[in-house]
Amino acid sequence: MTTQIQTEEVLTASNRRQNLFSGFKFPKTFLGLLPILSFAGIFLVWPLSAIFRASLHDNHNHITFAVYRELFTGIYREAFITSFKLAFLSALIAGFCGAAVSAALVRTSGTFRSLISSASGVLANTGGVPLAFMFIAAYGQDGLITKFLLWLHWDIYAGSFDIFNFWGILFVYGFFQIPLMVIIFTPAMENMKKEWAEANDSLGGSHFQYLRYVAIPTLIPAFLSATLLLFASSFSAYATARAMTIGNLPLVPLVIGTLVDGNVIPSEANLGDALAMGMVAVSVVVIAAYLALLRFSKRRS
Amino acid sequence: MRKLSKFNIFTLIFAAFFFIAPLLGAFGYALRGVNGAGHSLVNFRWIFQQQGFYTNLGVSLRLAAVTALLVMVLMVPTVVFLHLGGKRWRRLIEFVCLVPIVVPVVSLAIGAQISMPKWLQSTPYELCFFYVIVSMPYVYRAVDIGLQSISLSTLVEASQSLGASGLTTLRLVIVPAIRSAVTGALFISIALSLGEYALASLLHFNTFPTWVTNVSQENILGSIALSVSTLIGAWVVLLLIVFLPKIRSLRKVSVNV
Amino acid sequence: MSNKSHGSVVEFESVTRSFGSITALRDFSLVLHPGELISLLGPSGCGKTTALRILAGIDKDHTGLVKIDGKPMTNVGANKRNIGMVFQAYSLFPNMTALENVGYGLRVRGVDSTARGKKAKDLLELVGLGEQSNRRPTELSGGQQQRVALARALAIEPRVLLLDEPLSALDAQVRSQLREEIRRIQTTLGITTLFVTHDQEEAMTISDRVGVMNKGNLEQIDAPSNLYNKPLTPFVAGFVGLTNYIQGFMESKSEVQVLNQLLDISDHSPSLKKGEEVRVLVRPESISITKASSGATVLTKSFLGPMTRIGLDAGLKELIYAEVPSKEAKKFDTGDHVKISIGTDSVMVESV
Repeated sequence: MTTQIQTEEVLTASNRRQNLFSGFKFPKTFLGLLPILSFAGIFLVWPLSAIFRASLHDNHNHITFAVYRELFTGIYREAFITSFKLAFLSALIAGFCGAAVSAALVRTSGTFRSLISSASGVLANTGGVPLAFMFIAAYGQDGLITKFLLWLHWDIYAGSFDIFNFWGILFVYGFFQIPLMVIIFTPAMENMKKEWAEANDSLGGSHFQYLRYVAIPTLIPAFLSATLLLFASSFSAYATARAMTIGNLPLVPLVIGTLVDGNVIPSEANLGDALAMGMVAVSVVVIAAYLALLRFSKRRS
Repeated sequence: MRKLSKFNIFTLIFAAFFFIAPLLGAFGYALRGVNGAGHSLVNFRWIFQQQGFYTNLGVSLRLAAVTALLVMVLMVPTVVFLHLGGKRWRRLIEFVCLVPIVVPVVSLAIGAQISMPKWLQSTPYELCFFYVIVSMPYVYRAVDIGLQSISLSTLVEASQSLGASGLTTLRLVIVPAIRSAVTGALFISIALSLGEYALASLLHFNTFPTWVTNVSQENILGSIALSVSTLIGAWVVLLLIVFLPKIRSLRKVSVNV
Repeated sequence: MSNKSHGSVVEFESVTRSFGSITALRDFSLVLHPGELISLLGPSGCGKTTALRILAGIDKDHTGLVKIDGKPMTNVGANKRNIGMVFQAYSLFPNMTALENVGYGLRVRGVDSTARGKKAKDLLELVGLGEQSNRRPTELSGGQQQRVALARALAIEPRVLLLDEPLSALDAQVRSQLREEIRRIQTTLGITTLFVTHDQEEAMTISDRVGVMNKGNLEQIDAPSNLYNKPLTPFVAGFVGLTNYIQGFMESKSEVQVLNQLLDISDHSPSLKKGEEVRVLVRPESISITKASSGATVLTKSFLGPMTRIGLDAGLKELIYAEVPSKEAKKFDTGDHVKISIGTDSVMVESV
């Protein structure tokens, strides 16, 4: 009898200890998460929700989605389409070019590799006026490279290329997009074990078969997430776009910029807010598409 | 390491041309003397002679310092916490930290304008908070990867068994152990603060990048010279950071021998 | 069994491979008989993996000849040699299931998917993983991954099988289990096999012959028992099994004075000069001890099962280890004094 009571007492005592412990855990976890959540809440969530709310209030302070309809018309529609096209193409082209450079980079080592890696870090952060002026100095109508290529009998301005039009900007974006891709994608390349290529060899596979059955399927998830980042980077690029265009190319960040600067008075006061939300919406859709693609590629291989 | 294939070499040569060409072109332009005649370094000196150079540079440097401080105080303890006790929350917080990548800076600027209190909006230090947000994804990844490569819980338990408090452990044990990751994270946030244009411009602050952009409109050659020097300068600084520890350790070895 | 293959004859003829100033493999010559399992054993950097990779065709920059079934492999690429290879780790293709991995060699040979699937399934059953065929490498344990790697190598019905330290990354228990299975499968299929390892117990238990390598040289290739009992060089004697190194002194050209004992070593050591300082290599089981009133002191006793290893302090820098049957070992306690006798027939002497 005494043993039974003793056991029960021990059990309750240990239960009590556990409750104390779990109760103790709660404030600790709370304290741990509080800083980051409140910081993100104040400086990320609050501004974005503020734009959302503001975009719903029209000039007469009624709550309506009306302004969003305007996004689908005229210059705003054009801006979204152009921004999207630019971001999409930039991500794709820089994605493949950057991946090719990464593939070469992982086969180098030592000083040479450090030189290239650090150069990528610097180039990925260039933009705005500095970048624009450099490219104009090189590839503008009067540019040194343009003249050099002319001397080689290649007139780059003979066709539709112009450093200031869509294709020119796409070209300039490559200057920071490709290094960005190299930075993001090289770790994925480094994860490719040499044993896989050797196993393929010993099993009789050709290099092409290795790429097709092993290397590319393994790299697709990393490639997709990297190009997603490139899309985001290109879509929201502001400084470079502003420096390169002279008002001739409609891009959403620039339109928002003109509204903020007060150069253009919009018909609706909340248009800027709607445009900003529109950009967020595009980003969300793109992420969703990326996640779907990711799941699809994992199932296929 | 496998040998470079022909495709690899072709890619590297092509990339070299693509990236060096504009730099060379710009450099060539910048070397032009006054009134476009002859060669001179006058354009390289131009930016330093502009009024407001030191004022605005000072602003940006201070912003960078505050941003770096915020990053250290906010991100490092948080990620450490996630690795130690808060493992359940890791995916959630990781998601939160990665969100800023896809939020357009422009949208953030507009949001800041209509939501932040007036007293905050009147000081350029407002930018620091948003710089932290914008650099969060990269900082998180850097610190996260750094922590993954050390046996954090073992180190913490050892430190605590020797009597150190949480803060002391953080300062004397954890941060030194992930020094390269922390340096990388600081580098990212500092580089961002020094070069960030969009937020500063849209929120109507005068920082070094916005000032440079404005002033550049007047002197194209000078601004080209500036761009080229900034790029090369930043590259040299990065190379020093990479190679200096190696040179130092080489020297140590020779002394011991 | 329908997929019983007969192994090939493999020949290395004076193969030398250098990496800059380092000679990884020096004048390496070896013949592997059909169906034989030979292990290359040695410390890291001894050249064993280099030899294997040269045979696989992955490493091409070498002098000397490699022949399979008499045919020189100089211009034959790695993917044409029909050699099965199991790597130390990480070699399974991450984006494929176990079944797809095993079937890969057949896929690149144009075998259709039904035939592939069946063969792969059979092989997975052979290695004991029939149930796990739809798992991906990340969902398999280390031991399971290596079984899949083995099945994958066997799928192409190779006549030569290469294993590059396949068990080094695994737990001890999994290791001993898996090595028995590898040996069993290898003998059943009769495939000529080259096994590289730094673990001597592994090499000794499964091999027909073991080649001990050191700094690019093949020091001795022999049956495991001969390596142990009749080592040809001091390195082999020291590397295989436990060895005592005891200081001694050449009393004459064929007699060595060691631990107050004079041993006649005329028939198993290279000629040494009288008066030379030497080191005598003695196996623990060749040392016998008897109780005495003074002399060496018993310091440690380690129970090993049938034998007990006794550590003796004879006033030298290191302890001398004797291995005696445990029944006998009971008679000695720590602190006891003993007289040490060294059996003359298993002793090797080297100059200092």
